Amino acid sequence: MPPRAVGQILLHYLSGGALFPNPCAGTPISPLRCGAYQVILWQLVVPEILLALIVGAALGISGAALQGIFRNPLADPFLLGISSGGTIGAAALYVYQIGVADAELFLPLFAFVGAIATGLLILGVARGRFSSVETLLLAGVALSNLLSAVLSLLLLYNPTGSEQVTFWLLGGLGLASWTVDGIAFGAVLVLGTLLALHGRELNLIQLGNDVAQSAGVDARRVRLRVILLASMTTAVAVAFTGVIGFVGLVSPHIVRRLGRSDYRIVLPGAAAVGAIFLLTARDLSYLVFAGSVLPLGIFTAFAGVPFFLYLLYRQRRTTTMGGAA
Amino acid sequence: MTAAPALRFERVTVRFGDRLALHDVSFAVAPGTFVALAGPNGSGKTTLLRTALGFVAPDPGAVELLGRTVDALRIVDRARHVAWVPQDESPRDDVRLGDYVLYGRFAFHGALEGETAEDLAIADRALRDVGLADRANDGILRLSGGERQRAVLARALAQTAPVLLLDEPTSHLDIGHQLDLLGRVRALVRDRGVTVLAAIHDLNLAARFADRVVVLSRGRLVADGPPSDVLSTELLAQVWGVVADLRRDARTGFPYLIPQQLLTDPGRPVGAPGRGRVHVVGGGGSAAPYLRALAEEGYRVSTGVLPLLDSDLETAEALGLAAAVEVPFAPLGPAARARNRELLGESAAIVVAPFPIGPFNAPNLDDVLPFAGRVPVFLAGPPGIAARDFTGGAASATYAALRARGAVEVLGTAGLLEALASRPTAAVAAPAPRLAAAPDG
Repeated sequence: MPPRAVGQILLHYLSGGALFPNPCAGTPISPLRCGAYQVILWQLVVPEILLALIVGAALGISGAALQGIFRNPLADPFLLGISSGGTIGAAALYVYQIGVADAELFLPLFAFVGAIATGLLILGVARGRFSSVETLLLAGVALSNLLSAVLSLLLLYNPTGSEQVTFWLLGGLGLASWTVDGIAFGAVLVLGTLLALHGRELNLIQLGNDVAQSAGVDARRVRLRVILLASMTTAVAVAFTGVIGFVGLVSPHIVRRLGRSDYRIVLPGAAAVGAIFLLTARDLSYLVFAGSVLPLGIFTAFAGVPFFLYLLYRQRRTTTMGGAA
Repeated sequence: MTAAPALRFERVTVRFGDRLALHDVSFAVAPGTFVALAGPNGSGKTTLLRTALGFVAPDPGAVELLGRTVDALRIVDRARHVAWVPQDESPRDDVRLGDYVLYGRFAFHGALEGETAEDLAIADRALRDVGLADRANDGILRLSGGERQRAVLARALAQTAPVLLLDEPTSHLDIGHQLDLLGRVRALVRDRGVTVLAAIHDLNLAARFADRVVVLSRGRLVADGPPSDVLSTELLAQVWGVVADLRRDARTGFPYLIPQQLLTDPGRPVGAPGRGRVHVVGGGGSAAPYLRALAEEGYRVSTGVLPLLDSDLETAEALGLAAAVEVPFAPLGPAARARNRELLGESAAIVVAPFPIGPFNAPNLDDVLPFAGRVPVFLAGPPGIAARDFTGGAASATYAALRARGAVEVLGTAGLLEALASRPTAAVAAPAPRLAAAPDG
């Protein structure tokens, strides 16, 4: 597709047809082919790019918020079992063939319900009287493992649909459409903004819950609120794109590595980095595996895992958990 | 002192499970004063501070901040009333010091409002108060341990709360930084009228900087008053299980304690029980500290001859000690002296307290003489007898004779206990330590 045609087609749509009423004029593209390009660009590529940005931002800000609330640089939106919950929701759809005909509608719905149910379960644990941050994190990891086992069991006895579930599990932007983007954008904008308003609380929570409380932060309530918001944000991402790992883990670290550890900046910063990260991953995956549909989750893992290992290596060397030194 | 207290603990009791962390603790802190909270590890100091912060709810009991119950205050309002410097706040991220201090302004503006010029001015002043104004742009992880603790103090000061609670703020600092930090806190009390309650386990530091010392032991308030009233060797023995000398700094007038040894020092020679006792000769209150110290230490003790109504005799009776007794305002009779000689004869060591000696009680001193050289004799108190010799020189002569027979001069109760303990060969009985005072940690 010639770049000039791409530019003209985009401007045609962005200007509502005022500019380049005939997008392919002046290019050696036949009107028939031009129509196909228009559909591909405007109905497939652009929504996919936008969804990558939205989901990347959602995962980035959730990761930053959870790392902040758990005071642990290894916390991740998927660590708490939210992804496993979403997957079970999706698996239920395929395995039991509920509403597969309207998969575009029911898949995100099932996944969202599964993810949010898990998030609420974690919150239930968090409300418990004796739950420390560490207990909560461990409970999340344990729950995540349990749900993975449930998923395996489900697929073992119901091979039908396991292929779709596996594909969904690896994450991708295949569901992208203007409708999906609209819903995702609205939800992530609201939830992300609410999360981003907790920067000052998270700054103080880094000094310990007691110190935070002595300075006026209701640490317990903030913890519940941030976990709820981050779970919902992640659930939106999971609902539309499946499990795309490591964006949430890596993005906050990149922001901090840039020398900013103020959560008022880390939260929106991680959203921006996450958006760029996921878009780059999408572009690279098409570049490297041209012509085939590669699950995005695999690609982010390829980039994320080495970074994760690097973090572990650094954390052993430095005494500071933030690793911002 | 009619002003309402800045901080008031009213019959505060706190239980953790079946462990009683605080028991019926009541006291008030007047505005603009520096009160030190002293006590061994595990005595409840930190728990008490936490009740004032609303982290722990007393049950029963109440804590009032400026007349308002802590529990009734919203968390954000509490932060405006009371600020906290924890024992060990270890930041993870290398936040700019100036930003870190501004964290203390949390309670003063909403999420969407930025820091005002007033916030910046307050943070700036807090940094100047702790002497870190020139480090505002450095990351907090780059500060030294002493500087970081000052940074924590600055963050707390930025809350501009009238009450400041400090939990062992100096425990990780060297002596220079300890004096520096507490000096700055003292200056804040003086110049800004801040009210300070600080848990300080170093009694000498507490006495040096605080207006008042409140001592907790096993969750109970055991002493409360100006440092010069509260600090005593008895308190140290009772609460900390430590034998100490109490001195007074000649320049500043501050009392200070020099710890000597643990009451239950395992390496100390301890005589077998029942092999003898320590007899104390005294009168007019001179023997009481020695009777008490010896009894607390676990020695068996006797005393005499003491006239009825003598304050030393009251102490002896209160401690349940054996004593030879005579009627008051009369020469010592033969029966009393015989009883006293009997007690002296059974003793493994004799202590002569610094008592005023007149014609009536001079025989008490004379009766010690035959035993000098056979058992250790300790001449306690400040050297020099002339000032309390009312016998025209006879008593001084007896003292000289005692010294000639090997009597040793000891200074104070601590000196006596040390001298007794350092005589492993002496058959001085120190039965199993009754005051197993090493407090749980």
